[in-house]
Amino acid sequence: MDWDKIVQLLVNGLTLGSVYALVALGFSMVYGILKLLNLAHGDVLMVGAFIGWGVLGWLGGAQDPSVAVWILLTLMVLAAMAGCGFLGVAIERFAYRPLRRAPRIAPLISALGVSFFIQNSVLLLFGANFRSYESFDLVDVEVGIHWGPLNVWILRIVVMASALAMMLGLWILVTRTKLGRAMRATAFDREAAAMMGIDVDRVIVKTFFIGSALAGAAGVLVGLVFGSINHFMGFGYGLKGFTAAVVGGIGSIPGAMFGGILIGLAEAFSVGYIEDVTFGRLGSAFSDLVVFLILIGFMLLRPQGIFGKKDVKKV
Amino acid sequence: MSVTNGAPAPLLRLEGVNTYYGQMHILQDVDLEVGEGELVCLLGGNASGKSTTLKTILGVVPPRSGKVVLAGEDVTRYSTAKRIERGLAIVPENRRLFGPMTVLENLELGAYLRPRADLKEDLERVYEIFPHVAARRKQLAGTLSGGEQQMVAMGRALMARPKLLLMDEPSMGLAPILVERSFEIIKQVHSAGVALLVVEQNANVSLSIADRGYVLSTGRVVLEGRASELIRHEELRKAYLGR
Amino acid sequence: MSEPSDSPRIGVDEWVASAEGRRERSLAGRAEALYERTPAAVKLLALVVPFAVFPQLVDSDYLMQVGVDTLVFVLLALGLNVAVGWVGLLDLGFVAFFGLGAYLYAAVASEYAGRSWDGMLAIPAIAISVAVAGFLVGLPSRRLVGDYLAIVTLFFLQLWLVVLINASFTRGPNGISDLYPLQLLGREVVSLEGYYYVALAFFVVIVSFLFLLNRSRTGRAWRALREDELAAELMTMPVNRLKLMAFAVGAGIAGVAGALYAPSQGAVFPANFDILVLITVYAMVVLGGAGSLLGVTVGAVLIMAVLETLRDPSDASWVFYGVVAIGLVALMRPRWLAPAVLAATVVFGMGVHELAERARPSLVEGTTVGTARIDELVDSWVLVPEGAVGPDGLPAGALARLAYLGLVASVLALTLVRDRWLRAGLMVPVLYLAACVWENVLLAQPAVARFVLIGALLVALMAFRPQGLLGRRRVEIV
Repeated sequence: MDWDKIVQLLVNGLTLGSVYALVALGFSMVYGILKLLNLAHGDVLMVGAFIGWGVLGWLGGAQDPSVAVWILLTLMVLAAMAGCGFLGVAIERFAYRPLRRAPRIAPLISALGVSFFIQNSVLLLFGANFRSYESFDLVDVEVGIHWGPLNVWILRIVVMASALAMMLGLWILVTRTKLGRAMRATAFDREAAAMMGIDVDRVIVKTFFIGSALAGAAGVLVGLVFGSINHFMGFGYGLKGFTAAVVGGIGSIPGAMFGGILIGLAEAFSVGYIEDVTFGRLGSAFSDLVVFLILIGFMLLRPQGIFGKKDVKKV
Repeated sequence: MSVTNGAPAPLLRLEGVNTYYGQMHILQDVDLEVGEGELVCLLGGNASGKSTTLKTILGVVPPRSGKVVLAGEDVTRYSTAKRIERGLAIVPENRRLFGPMTVLENLELGAYLRPRADLKEDLERVYEIFPHVAARRKQLAGTLSGGEQQMVAMGRALMARPKLLLMDEPSMGLAPILVERSFEIIKQVHSAGVALLVVEQNANVSLSIADRGYVLSTGRVVLEGRASELIRHEELRKAYLGR
Repeated sequence: MSEPSDSPRIGVDEWVASAEGRRERSLAGRAEALYERTPAAVKLLALVVPFAVFPQLVDSDYLMQVGVDTLVFVLLALGLNVAVGWVGLLDLGFVAFFGLGAYLYAAVASEYAGRSWDGMLAIPAIAISVAVAGFLVGLPSRRLVGDYLAIVTLFFLQLWLVVLINASFTRGPNGISDLYPLQLLGREVVSLEGYYYVALAFFVVIVSFLFLLNRSRTGRAWRALREDELAAELMTMPVNRLKLMAFAVGAGIAGVAGALYAPSQGAVFPANFDILVLITVYAMVVLGGAGSLLGVTVGAVLIMAVLETLRDPSDASWVFYGVVAIGLVALMRPRWLAPAVLAATVVFGMGVHELAERARPSLVEGTTVGTARIDELVDSWVLVPEGAVGPDGLPAGALARLAYLGLVASVLALTLVRDRWLRAGLMVPVLYLAACVWENVLLAQPAVARFVLIGALLVALMAFRPQGLLGRRRVEIV
């Protein structure tokens, strides 16, 4: 056994997984409350990555930042969260809200349009080239934990820790606060929630803000540890995020977290081993195949996901 | 018209309400009033427009023309939440409890618009009317029996300290003994000074406790008057009371 | 007690008997009724005739190629319509089936594969294999709502692209370029015109098939399923089998489209079957009216026509200014308001241009992209700053990007303004901004701009006319 490789893949998987978990959370929250597949969610992440990149450039770039690194990182994440939060609110207001009473497929097509519009707008304004955060200049790659086979760059630790902190925060928000209670009530029965005096539209707006802000943060984290970003990156992250949400049990917060980690690990290990296992026939690009098979497996064997309850249809 | 003669100032008034689903004209010129502290019932068979009337009052369905007035204020363009804020509460059809949440959480949601300081007092008041609910407060609402759910739904509505309580088919799906119990509670709530609009198919029970009543048919008010008079109306008896 | 005399009887609800009297009487309502009364055969004929005369009217190879592509896309839109329009399933892997059909053609009729099957064998075989593939892809989500199907199919599309680009047997991004021309009963189709007529024949066959299918028991069951899945299930309809069937039928049609597309192009590349194509086909289905064969066909033709004209900057400008003007005239009430707003915009623009020329000449020193008469006219009206667009067509400075974002934000904000007069007034600067952004940012990259516009079109259509141009409004009872 090659322990160095395994540990490395484990770290990779957890980093990737925490990003997927953040995406899955926002996706799952929106699905829970509107029963809508927000296909533009991955593109919100992409916009977050670009906002982070913009803030980085504005504050002097990775080689010569004009503020302390930790302040820079905080600002990047906060700016992306705020920007994406408002983007999410705008998407809800203009693309989804007019369609609350339309046939189910209408908001999905609208979502497709939004996704496409955002992607191509970024392409139009910034071009197709990959942009890099150059985070190795920002934080030296040697800084971090070095302990036996365990070598973890500090930025990866920051990414995992901040993702975890955001998930905990969300968990507390949903289970312990009045807004959280209103969100759960709205998710379960929107009309009945309105009958309690809950301003359903505002709850939905807040849900979109929070979910999209998480995606924005995820975008910056992706840029920090995986280097380069471009207009099409949202597709892949969105897809894995959706998969994570489905695997974990759509609508469930712990489900989204575990689903994200599971998909992250699966992807990391299949990137690492798929060539060996298939005797070189399939390259690492085929790691998506493994994730897809996991998705299919869950669909067939446990369609409600790890944490989901059996789907009881309301008649 | 018996409505205007010395009746208390109306808490709720529908004025010439016309509601459409798409191109289909559902409610036609519906006028309706509920006075302060009054118990009014709205009768009608399946698909007579009762639920649409209620949805129009709540703002779930916007009327094409006409007005919804709550305590003198025109709320026709208001959202459901804003109307609830004006002192409405509802016990919806089929109760519509929040199944995956506890009974206590359901009650707290009923008091969503109330100041936090009053919560304890309101809870105690509701527990007093429904001692059974108090015992179940930690349980998930979805796991309760139909009768228990009805009590939680009524308790939840009372948590809001409404001026006007709307009840949608309170007898639906309940055993006769529970129907009786429900209507006793309705009477009790009414005697505490809360105005009620009870939407029912069961004309007999509801007319026996109501002050006034309206009868809807194919989207129109075809009959209105004092409950004591309605209960003797020939055609109505034939249609709804079975004799 | 009161009792109006003409009112319904107590306890008797007569919705059905009084339904006609309850219908709204408006011009739009009557037009809709007339359209609904037109016999389906007339509509079908109206569909085929224009296609049949098209080759007589054009004599350029380019237009002929556009004609062939249009027919292929019409087929695609018809196929997607089965899942999306008739059953209400979001099939995001659809273009993979199109690609599969094309690559299968390459596998049975190319020098690379070393086979040259006759079209009479190849096309049915491809249609069936792709339909089976569609069935298999839909299978895992058999127990679930349509949303899961969307995720599975989207993922399938991703895998499809991974395979196309990375696998060795597909030759990766370079594609397979030595396809044999289509053979029918031993005779090779040599001209574009030939391909056009072959595609037209398939169009007629498929439209007739779909027409009959829609009227059959299955078609009725599909519609029932779309409106209320649960009710359909309770009526013992085999919901999952029906869904899979729709899926497979759509995929099969996409396969045929692919098998026609590949030889007409002479080559297959991964880029011909990616998500851009998917969105285009969705726009086609939705624009004309999902669910209606006529609507979908019209939508496909319209979108193809617009996309083709957007290739050339000068033509694109005509389309842009024309669509804006016609759109305003069609939508704004009272009638005189739209011309007034347009005139005001022209005057406003001249004023701004004049001011800019005096205050900061650099704002007007650039030139617009096109060279035709319209571009010269526009040149002295919109602001075209020197060097706003880099040599690569990308905005060079922050100004152009901010203008673009500002335009998006102000158009969205404009939809929130309720007051008609205020909205008309605000429209003037927004329209001018739109013209500036169009000339500076969008025209610089027509290829990208096309897809930005398609994205926006999808959202706007769903918000304002989800039934499309020719579709019927569906009412959701709350």
